[in-house]
This record gives sequence, C-alpha cells and structure tokens, in this order.
Amino acid sequence: MARPPTTTDALWYKDAIIYQAHVRAFSDSTADGVGDFAGFAGKLDYLQQLGVTALWLMPFFPSPLRDDGYDISDYCAVHKSYGSLEDFRSFLDAAHQRGIRVIIELVLNHTSDQHPWFQESRSSRDNPKRDWYVWSDTDTRYHGTRIIFVDTEMSNWSWDPVSKAYYWHRFFSHQPDLNYDNPEVREEMWRVMKFWLDLGVDGFRLDAVPYLVEREGTSCENLPETHAVIREFRARLDAEYPGRMLLAEANQWPGDLRPYFGEGDEFHMAFHFPLMPRMFLGLKLEDRKPILETLQRTPEIPPSCQWCLFLRNHDELTLEMVTEIERDYMYDVYAGDRSMRLNLGIRRRLAPLLENDRRRIELMNGMMMSLPGTPIVYYGDEIGMGDNIFLGDRNGVRTPMQWSGGWNAGFSTADPESLYSPLILNPVFGYQAVNVTSQQRSEHSLLAWMRRLIAVRKASPVFGRGSIEFLRPANHRVLAYVRQLGNERVLVVNNLSHAAQAVELDLSRYKGRVLIEMFGRNLFPRIGDLPYLLTLGPYQFYWFRMRKV
Amino acid sequence: MAEENILPDEFLRQLMNVGEVDLVVAVPTHNHARTIARVVEAVRLGLVTYLPRERAVLVAADGGSRDGSLSLALEAAAAPLPAEAELRYLRTFQVVGGTYANGAGNHSPLRLVLAAADLLQAKACAVLSPSASVAPEWVERLLAPVYRKGFDYVAPLYRRHRFHGLLVRILLYPMVRALYGKRIHEPYAADFAFSGRLGADLLAGPEPAAPGDAADYLRAPLCALTSNYRVCEAFLGPREQTELAADLVPALRQTVGPLFRSMEEHPGCWQAAKGSEPLPVESGQEEITSEPLRLNRKRFHQMFCSGVADLHPVLATILTGETLADLGACAALGEQAFRFPDELWAKTVYECAASFHRNAISRDHLLQAMAPLYRGKVYEFLGHTRHSPPEEFEARVEALCLAFERLKPYLLQMWGGRQGGTP
Repeated sequence: MARPPTTTDALWYKDAIIYQAHVRAFSDSTADGVGDFAGFAGKLDYLQQLGVTALWLMPFFPSPLRDDGYDISDYCAVHKSYGSLEDFRSFLDAAHQRGIRVIIELVLNHTSDQHPWFQESRSSRDNPKRDWYVWSDTDTRYHGTRIIFVDTEMSNWSWDPVSKAYYWHRFFSHQPDLNYDNPEVREEMWRVMKFWLDLGVDGFRLDAVPYLVEREGTSCENLPETHAVIREFRARLDAEYPGRMLLAEANQWPGDLRPYFGEGDEFHMAFHFPLMPRMFLGLKLEDRKPILETLQRTPEIPPSCQWCLFLRNHDELTLEMVTEIERDYMYDVYAGDRSMRLNLGIRRRLAPLLENDRRRIELMNGMMMSLPGTPIVYYGDEIGMGDNIFLGDRNGVRTPMQWSGGWNAGFSTADPESLYSPLILNPVFGYQAVNVTSQQRSEHSLLAWMRRLIAVRKASPVFGRGSIEFLRPANHRVLAYVRQLGNERVLVVNNLSHAAQAVELDLSRYKGRVLIEMFGRNLFPRIGDLPYLLTLGPYQFYWFRMRKV
Repeated sequence: MAEENILPDEFLRQLMNVGEVDLVVAVPTHNHARTIARVVEAVRLGLVTYLPRERAVLVAADGGSRDGSLSLALEAAAAPLPAEAELRYLRTFQVVGGTYANGAGNHSPLRLVLAAADLLQAKACAVLSPSASVAPEWVERLLAPVYRKGFDYVAPLYRRHRFHGLLVRILLYPMVRALYGKRIHEPYAADFAFSGRLGADLLAGPEPAAPGDAADYLRAPLCALTSNYRVCEAFLGPREQTELAADLVPALRQTVGPLFRSMEEHPGCWQAAKGSEPLPVESGQEEITSEPLRLNRKRFHQMFCSGVADLHPVLATILTGETLADLGACAALGEQAFRFPDELWAKTVYECAASFHRNAISRDHLLQAMAPLYRGKVYEFLGHTRHSPPEEFEARVEALCLAFERLKPYLLQMWGGRQGGTP
C-alpha cells in the first residue's frame, strides 16, 4: 500500500475540511448513467482547489440499493456500478497524492437482507450464523423501542417466512440488525475494517452506532454494551492503525452523545446533530437563543476528540433532537409543503431551504466554519444546488452533481434517460443555471466565495482546535464569540437578522488589541474602554483577528 | 415620527438592541412596587404560553416612581422562567425599561410606550395596568384581536362587582356611547391594546397638558372611534377595584376632564353620531358579580345634599335654572323618597360639558363641583340596584344609556348656543 507523505499529526481531523459525496452522484466515466470511482478521481483536482482535505464517501459496497447503499450485501467489495476494487485503490492513491484523506462509510448496525450472512442465518435455527442477527419467536421483545423510519415502518420486528421467526431491524425491514452480543459478529466486522484500512482508507464514518445492542427494559439506544463494542474496535484501531479516525453517526441529545467519545477511547469525532437544526431555527427566529443554548449544553469532550458540524447531508434535515414546539415551528417555516417532510425531518438541500438567498447561505456556511468543530460540506452545496422533492424518500437531495450547463450537466455522457436520477431542471436551480463551470468563471460566484472561506479558515488552526467564549451583547440578533488557541484570538460576529444591526460588544478584556478583518485584512479600530460598536448588514458576519500590535 | 429627542439615551440604546418586533406589552408604572413583579411575571407567562413564536418585548414604562418600581420590574423580567415555560419560548425574552419625563416635568409613561412601539415597528401593543388582577391570558386576549384579526383598538371587559367602576357605568360609558355612537363599556381603560397604525396617530397627538394628566388613556379609544379604526372589546377576567376609586375629584379630573376636552377636539365626530351600536366582542362577555359589599350610602346622600346647597352659586354658573331647581328638589327629598331621574342626570352632565366648553368657570372648579352631583346619582343608583339580579342591573344601566342618547339633541343645543347659568 503506497501512501504519499501527509501530515503525521494524529489530530489531522481537527483541521480537516470534509466533503461528503456519493460516488454514484459525482461523475460518470463509463457512460452508464451512474457515477463511479474513475469519474470521481477525475474531479479530485476540483476538490483540491476548493480546499477540501478529506472526503467522506457514502456506501459504495455491493447492495440491492433499496436504501441507497446503506443496505450492504458485501462489505469487502465495490458495487459494480461504481467500478472495481482496483478502481477504488487508484482513486484512493489519487486522493492521497492531492493531500486529501478518504473516510468511507461503514454500516455496522445492519446488513441488507440479501447479504449472505442473513441468507444463512435465516435458513435454519441451527445454522452457524443464526445468532449473527437478532431473532425472536414473538414481536413483543424490546417493547416501546422507538421506530426511526416512522413514515414507512410499523414495527422494529418483521416476520421472516423462511425462518418462521421475527427478526429485529431499527431501520427498514430489509435491513436486519446484526447481533453484537455475538463475538463472531464483532470479529467479522473488525476483519471488514482491517480490509479497508489495509487498502489505505483514513477513517470510517460508522452509521447508526447507538443501536448496536439491545436490552429488555431499555430504549435499546446508547447502551453501555454498545460503548463496549466501540471501545473494542477503537483499541484495535489505535494499536494497529494509528492516525486513522472513527466518526460516529449518533443522532442523540448532547448528553447522550458525550459517551461516544468515551475518555478519548471511543470515537474521534461525532456529528453535532442537535446544533444543526438550531442553526436553521436561530436564523429564522433571528435570535441566537437556540444556537447559544445548544452550544452551552454541549458537554466538554476529551482533548483529542472533535465535533463534526454540518448544515445538510444525504438524509433529511433531522428534527429528532429538537422539542415538539421547535419541530412544529421548523416545519411551518421551512417545510410548509408537507411533501417536504419525511421521518421527522425535512428533505431539502441547503439553498432551497434558505430560499436561494446568497447572504443566508454565506452566513450559515460562515457559522459552520467558525464554530468549534470540523465542517462537512455536502456535495453540491458549494455551488448552491437545488433539490427535487418529487423523487421520493431522500433521493431529492442526491441528484447528479452539476458540473456544467451542457449534456447531463457534465455528469455523464450517457443518455439522459439512463441516469440513475433525473437532473434538476428548473430555471432557478437547474444545471444550466447552477453548475461548477459557470461559477468557476466568476470571482463573485458562491463557489469562489466558498473557496475563499475555506482558505481563510484553513489559515488559522484556531477554528479547528481553539476554545470558544460566547459574548452576550444586548442585541439578541447577533451571535458573537471569541475563538482562542494559544496567543491567537479570533472574534466572530454573526448577524442573524434580515435587517442591518448595530451591536455593542464588551471586549474590555482585549483592550488594546487591533481588529483585523480576516477576509480583506483591513484594520478596524483598536479596542478601547468603551463597548465596541459594530454595524452589520443583513445576514453579514465578520471574522476578526485580534492582534496585539 | 417618534419623539426620539425626548427619549433617554439609555432607553434608545435598549430599543436598538431589541430591534423590530411584532408585539409590545407595556406596563406603565408609577409607584407600583407592591404589584409590579407579579404583573411582569404574568406578562412573561402570557407571551410564552400564548405567543411563543412572536417577536415581543415587555416595556416597563415608569413615570418617575420613588419606590423602585422600575428596577423591580426589570428584576422580575430577568428572573428564570419555569422550566416548562422556558422550553416553550423559542426566542430571547426581551425587556426594556425607562422613565419618561418631558422637559415640563410631566409624567405620562404612556408616551414612552407609544414611542417604543413606533420605533420598534410593533404591529400590536398591549398596555396593562400594574394591577394584581393581571393574568397571563390577558396578554393574548388583548393582542390577538389586533395581531391576528386586524383590529386597531381593543377595549377590555371585566368581571367586576356591580358597584365597582361606577364612574364608568353611570357617567363615562353612557356619555361616550351617546357621543360617539359606540357601546364601549370601558372607555377609560388601563388595560387595552392598539395597532401600530393607531399608535402612530396617538404619538403624533399633543402631549398631556397637566402633571399627572393621563389623557392618552382616553384619547386612545376616542381616536379609534372617531377616525374609522376597527374597535372591539375583549373579556379579560376579574378586575380589582383601583385605588383611584377612593378619590373622586382626581378621578373626575383624569376622566371627565379629558372627555370634555375631547369633545372640543372632535366636534364633527360626536355631533354627527346618532344612537349607538355594539362593538364586536372577542373572547367572552362582561361579567357582573353581586357578592355582598359594605357601602356607606347614607354618606353619598349627605354629600349630594350639602353639595347642592353649599355650591349653589357655583352650580348656578354651570347649570340652567331649571336643572338647578330640579336638583334642589331632589335634595329636598328624604333618603327614602330620594329620586334622581336618568334624564336629569344626563342633562346635568351635558350642561356641565357645555359650560366646560364655554369656560363658564375655571374648568377644574367645574369638575370639582360635579363631585357631589355624581354622588347623588350614585346614591340613587345603588338604591335601585343593590338587590337586583344581574339582568335587571344591566337593564338599569342600559336605561341610563338610552337616556343619554335621547337627550343628545339637548347637548347639541347647549353646546351650540343656549347657555347654562342663571342670568
């Protein structure tokens, strides 16, 4: 396995700019209408220029694709639509050569019902793999466990006519849960991880980790036994593959998320699920309260650990980790059309959610890039791609990447009818209006702006590694905070309002420092005794370096 | 345009930090330390419970209290909400507080409220008295008709004892109803709501003329009634008897004086109105309670009789000879036989209004002279209604109102030319 020199910093993920993409949606090199690794490799220069330092690839394993690849039928291969294992190796090397790490998805909790393991398990109660899954003669065990896909599933148990028993599934019924009480299962999954680690992947995003273990009389989420499994994997990872990273997908309240970091011996990173919807909530309310409260309730995590921040992803904008009142409000203001709602969430992309308002898009990205954590950009959001809510499930936010205004948006040379998904066509978000080529030609495009934003962020490690101290100006429409790392201090001021705002900041403890705006590098007045008065345009934000001159 | 130049800098800074709002809930205070904290708590709960999504601000508008009312209000506003209420409220709870005193040393906190509502571009503003009666649902009942249904002024309806608020029942309500053709039961309300549009109009009006003059409280409904704004009433709940009720002459100054002055400001509006019509009522009806109440009726009779006698020279300059004679005849009747017909009362009030307009005597003296006359009517009214069931009580009030309406042509006559006063 060849790896070009990259930083040996074990905490590389703290400074990363992660880009999430689906291989099938990115670029098609074989003209079959489906993206593949060879096509993706051809776009790595674009990502390098954008400033991306890590890729998170959605599942690309063999799968019946009833859940867009999260129903895996072979963990150690590549779906033929996306290429071969050799193609993956080439892609991985190309990414590494450009200083881009690669994080792949690993669905620990469940497999496809087409996976050979399940086929064996269901075949007979005596089969050696019988206990690789969770079987029961009744559907009453683990009573009261919440159903996650409420729009499609009526129960967490499904009857298998072959096995004549019920099997447990926290997601779709065609995704039976693996039984992590079985050491064989744990050993096999470690073997899977080793396979990819040996190829050179830099980390795993582990899907649906809270649900690994079930116990009667519990919620079957976040159990101590689940954490024990994670610790086991982490210990083996650290021993044999130092510098690789585990990212948890655990859609939980902050208090329940904290254990997934352990004492630095479980996950390196976890998504900050509760923060994301509250950023949208605060923006609509024009009030920092929901954002500030969530961050104040965010527990301290071990120094080697990191939150992942995101605005959107391949799933619905989840409203599981908000109160009912917050959820009702979010539905009313962001998803008035009920067809936009799915599974306690909203299945829309960033730009349509923000009504294609460039200022709000910039502000939300600015906050994501300046709050404590590692930012993740969802493919297409850097150019403001739209969505198609008529595609069903969450497919509306997984349409082909729009590279140009030409044939099939530059995604594929296949017949348009053969594309894995229709393109976005409307005059506002359609590929002829929104595409990489057009935006690369303009210094004032969203793409160009995102590039600059990422560059400024990368110029200072304070964003990825620094502490945060919130200021509380009397103007509640302004969210302001100071990031600090060593002697470096950065003041971030965000106007959440559609109207211009004036704000007085108490910067007295930084008296004497000069503010230097980080994008234009212009000087602002020195901090004196009086409250520091700033005025901000609608949805404007500032990043100031606070320098002692 | 708002009166930015007379607002304290600190208050303006607070408004700047609040920014544009949908709703203002204002609590004007003047030495209300005893009740203000409870009122602020009720307002907060009302906003959190009934209007959790709206951008709102609580304005503590103080008229120069010496008992720390303003700081008590701000402290109460900053106290943590109950956990469940905190979860319901999506926004930062906003509160601003300030003291209003213009250069002349007048204290009308309502001016501060009007300015704040205007500068904050509020769509609806509720003003709540710092009374222990205020309950959280009052916030919604006052604001909802403006904010959600487009009304411009909301007058309150209360549940109160039949003998509380008599100045309103037997003078202000019948007279405003007859003058402006609308049955507004509480024309001089300390709890009301108005729209941003109406607020801007009120703010553009003149400042109170005299110290302690709360003319804005009457100007608000009258401006609404005379300028084609949409007016309604809303039932709030039980209302405690205010301290003002114990002191009649200041009450007359604060209510009847502005009412008579308003007739001079809008003669075209009240002169044209004929009869009266009810206002739409949101959220319930007025309620009258009848629990036993100790009243010194005898004293009212005594004050009437001695007033008619002692103030005869003054009354002679205000009233016609015929009216004065009729009042004398009433005073000559004993307690048991005492009568004070509704028509006589209406004529008396109308003649006082006309004399006020002509400045027949000092306006303040005129208002003082009305005090014993009012007490006589109260004595008569109490006598007739103290044992009546609620329907009869209401019928009695209605009969009085109709008398005022029937005699409106008499008022027009007196106002226009025929003079009161014994030649």
